[in-house]
Amino acid sequence: MHLTREEEKIYDGELGWAYQISMRILVKLGDLYGADNLIPIESAHISGVSYKTIGDAAIDFLEALADSDVKTSVTATTNPAGIDYENAIFTSLSGDIIKKQKRIINLYAKMGIKASLTCTPYYIEAPRCGAHLSWAESSAVVYANSIIGAWTNREGGPSALASALIGKTPNYGLHKPENRQAAALVKVEAELKDESDYGALGIYLGKILRDKIPLIQGLPSNEEGRLKQMGAAMATSGMVSMFHVGRNDINDMRLMREMETINVEDGNLREAREGLSISTDKPDLIFIGCPHCSLSELKQIAESIKGKKVRNDVKLWVCTSRFIRNKAKEYVEVIESSGGQVICDTCAVVTWLRDLNVKTLMTNSAKTAYYAPSLNGVKAVFSPLTECINVACQK
Amino acid sequence: MISALTLKGRPIVPGKVRGTALVSTKPISFLGGIDVNTGTIIERDHDLYGKSIKDVILCFPHGRGSTVGSFVLYRLAKSGLAPKAIINSIADPVVVVGAIIANIPMVDKINIEMITNGDVIEVEGEEGIVRVFRGE
Repeated sequence: MHLTREEEKIYDGELGWAYQISMRILVKLGDLYGADNLIPIESAHISGVSYKTIGDAAIDFLEALADSDVKTSVTATTNPAGIDYENAIFTSLSGDIIKKQKRIINLYAKMGIKASLTCTPYYIEAPRCGAHLSWAESSAVVYANSIIGAWTNREGGPSALASALIGKTPNYGLHKPENRQAAALVKVEAELKDESDYGALGIYLGKILRDKIPLIQGLPSNEEGRLKQMGAAMATSGMVSMFHVGRNDINDMRLMREMETINVEDGNLREAREGLSISTDKPDLIFIGCPHCSLSELKQIAESIKGKKVRNDVKLWVCTSRFIRNKAKEYVEVIESSGGQVICDTCAVVTWLRDLNVKTLMTNSAKTAYYAPSLNGVKAVFSPLTECINVACQK
Repeated sequence: MISALTLKGRPIVPGKVRGTALVSTKPISFLGGIDVNTGTIIERDHDLYGKSIKDVILCFPHGRGSTVGSFVLYRLAKSGLAPKAIINSIADPVVVVGAIIANIPMVDKINIEMITNGDVIEVEGEEGIVRVFRGE
């Protein structure tokens, strides 16, 4: 890989240990994937914030970094943590957990990384179409590449952090136009009724596509919230980092004819749905907001819950970023006066659900339904938003 | 001991060390697959189940699993439980990043089938060279 003189100096340690290992991470990953140089990025988004997922090992490392006085050189944001410190629900967690989670947030902040604590940083500040980014958090990566038109690989926590400190990323993968073309044609013949059908479609496609970019035709709507669910699910069951929808932007018709074609029928979707709903138990948590809700999703939830009451034996969590919660005061009031909770800075997947006495959750998120049994040890029921609200408020 | 074999791979992390080979034919997941308090492989069904990776030259095809695994290597190194060096068939980002931040000499693109459990091995991370010593 070609390095500038400036980059070489950092690689050799002239700016100290922290920048040196950051540079080494980027250069070695670049070597691994055939990059020829480093390119500047406009922002970094860092995963690995919840103490539940990263544990003590990461704290050691983040402490060493933060103590060596490094600062980010670009806008950098963070994924959700395990706790909403302004919500009393989480005070029942152990003192050790509460302290260590705070420590992690503070260590990132010390390096100049914003405590945005959301998986949807694009609702706070959307990247420019065509901007190069270094984002971790697979659902945000798919969203940025496919819906916004920004360019990012699917980074891991450490490489996104290294990029945040150096301000660059190795130029390979989705940073190159030739790698952003569709490699499979998906024809959706199944009927998609709501956002949860889009999620089930995503889970089905992720398994088949693995890391191939699809061109998806036959979607009844390209509404942003639905595509967000589909993309998040694809990145969960597969390594998909990008999709194309609707109009055919493949110029080469011959290429298009030779492309692998995947037909999605009602049966495929039904199978995917059934795989996500592994429980018939009565849920004790209804969870909406994976990925974190947008302003318009909060509005939709408020409209469907208005005038209803959440039952006493079930919790309703709606998760979003603090930024969106602050912009959505009137919707938050409706949801909370109905007995729901609008929770920020965390979500059901990255908090300690079992410690909070959750055994079965119901969600409209295919990503959560897929992960919750293994990552949280809880059972999952997968249903559209309208059904989730109905069950939460059933008399 | 005589140098029975010299293998040339790709340098990943510099450093020259000598130690005993612990060889696996299976990928290793550092998050969840290794006990960070003992350095022992705890993944059931793994061919190295129950073995300690402390101070060995750990040879395996590649890593797998969460990127948090990189931090696990860092923690093992801080507690003195890390391998002396890592040799992979084809490196994956989790192990590469882990070896860099933990400063564990590492080489990949080595045919690890040429290495046997218990071989004495010398790793030259800077050059990507692995020397295998055997018997008399």
